[in-house]
Amino acid sequence: MRLILLFAVFVVLGLALESAGARVISFRALIPNLIIILAVDLGLRHHGVLPAMLAFAMGYATDALAGSHPGINAFMMTMVFVVSYEISTRLMTANAFVGATVVFFGVIATALGTVAIANGFNALSDTGPLLPGLTLQAFISALVAPVIFSMLATGKRLTGLRARAARE
Amino acid sequence: MRGSFLWRNRVLLISGALLILSLHLISTGVHPGDLAARPQSAFLEVISPVTGAFTHLSDGASSIVSDYMDLVHVREENAHLRNELARVKSDQARLAELEAENQHLGELLELKDALGTNAVAANVIGSDATGLSRTLVLGSGTSDGLRPGMAVLANQGVVGKIIAVSPHASRVLMIDDHNSALDGFDQRSRARGIVAGLVDDGVILKYADRSQDIRAGDTIVTSGLDGIFPRGLLVGTVLSVHREGPGLFLGVRIAPAVDFRELEQVLILTQPPPHLEDQAKD
Repeated sequence: MRLILLFAVFVVLGLALESAGARVISFRALIPNLIIILAVDLGLRHHGVLPAMLAFAMGYATDALAGSHPGINAFMMTMVFVVSYEISTRLMTANAFVGATVVFFGVIATALGTVAIANGFNALSDTGPLLPGLTLQAFISALVAPVIFSMLATGKRLTGLRARAARE
Repeated sequence: MRGSFLWRNRVLLISGALLILSLHLISTGVHPGDLAARPQSAFLEVISPVTGAFTHLSDGASSIVSDYMDLVHVREENAHLRNELARVKSDQARLAELEAENQHLGELLELKDALGTNAVAANVIGSDATGLSRTLVLGSGTSDGLRPGMAVLANQGVVGKIIAVSPHASRVLMIDDHNSALDGFDQRSRARGIVAGLVDDGVILKYADRSQDIRAGDTIVTSGLDGIFPRGLLVGTVLSVHREGPGLFLGVRIAPAVDFRELEQVLILTQPPPHLEDQAKD
């Protein structure tokens, strides 16, 4: 329950910041994808059924504020969770660098996946002009990720949750 | 139990089930009134005040930064004068903002009167959270009479249509989104087509026959055939027409009449446009 509440607060603040930020900063690539960072943290540090469902719920909440096909972000966030989970079960550590790397590739893969699902795989050939902005957004998200991980860790400590992955 | 295959792979199995559920939602779609639409509507309702507050704060921060930039040039003046100047500038900015808002609302009111239909004005409080789609969040919802499928306009032209609503917030799919489609035609040549957005930004007129006479600079307006937008609303101007290469249709790029980044208030038509036969009778 504490995990759900903690992530609910971060999701509401993150989505509100992204939505309001996009109104102020016209160059969208400068706004990091905060929800992916949360999904990566769940996958790397929380191995259970509840975190998987939480990742799905975060994506479904994102669908309420983004995109025109409900379910796409839910699919993508669950995928990000699964990939992060699989990576953390194969590595000895799940530190901030690993998390930031997963976030970087997660942002790019999620955007391309969203375009492919919403418009068909042929639309991927039109994504060339999107890639520079997307790479910049992925880089900024990866830079911000350790700060968000740290804030989440503080939040977890304050609420009595385990802040590190079970293997560490 | 704990050593069984199902227990050891429970995370992956649940994730797989959730992925299948997501694909089911994508393929079937979520319609207003569906059970699956309720959590989204509830979340939109919860998050819209927070988004509105952040938008208000960020607008205030922009105003403070701009005020500071102005004050850099009068740094040598005494503290009293600077404070006075800041206060006057702040008042001026606020008044200018109110004046601009009044002007926007006045123009929307004129548009509403010109359309002769029921409409409500709404504030834009947010944009698409991921930036991969072209959607807006409005600070009005079902309590203001808004429903999915309603047409959204600005005083310059067509903005889009409502795709989701909660009691006090709603989302608009703009015409430059790659999943948007509205029926339009060239005002000069009467050539018809579907106005749609592109993945890599931009708006095109799809399915315009190659034999049609469409030229750069032509005005594209709504046809009214989609049952959402009244006939004759400004969509944009033709930027370029490509006739080269194979294919049945022209490549027509359009510059939308509305600058979507500058939208602050919009007008939503709460009454469907009159049927074309009724328009003809009138």
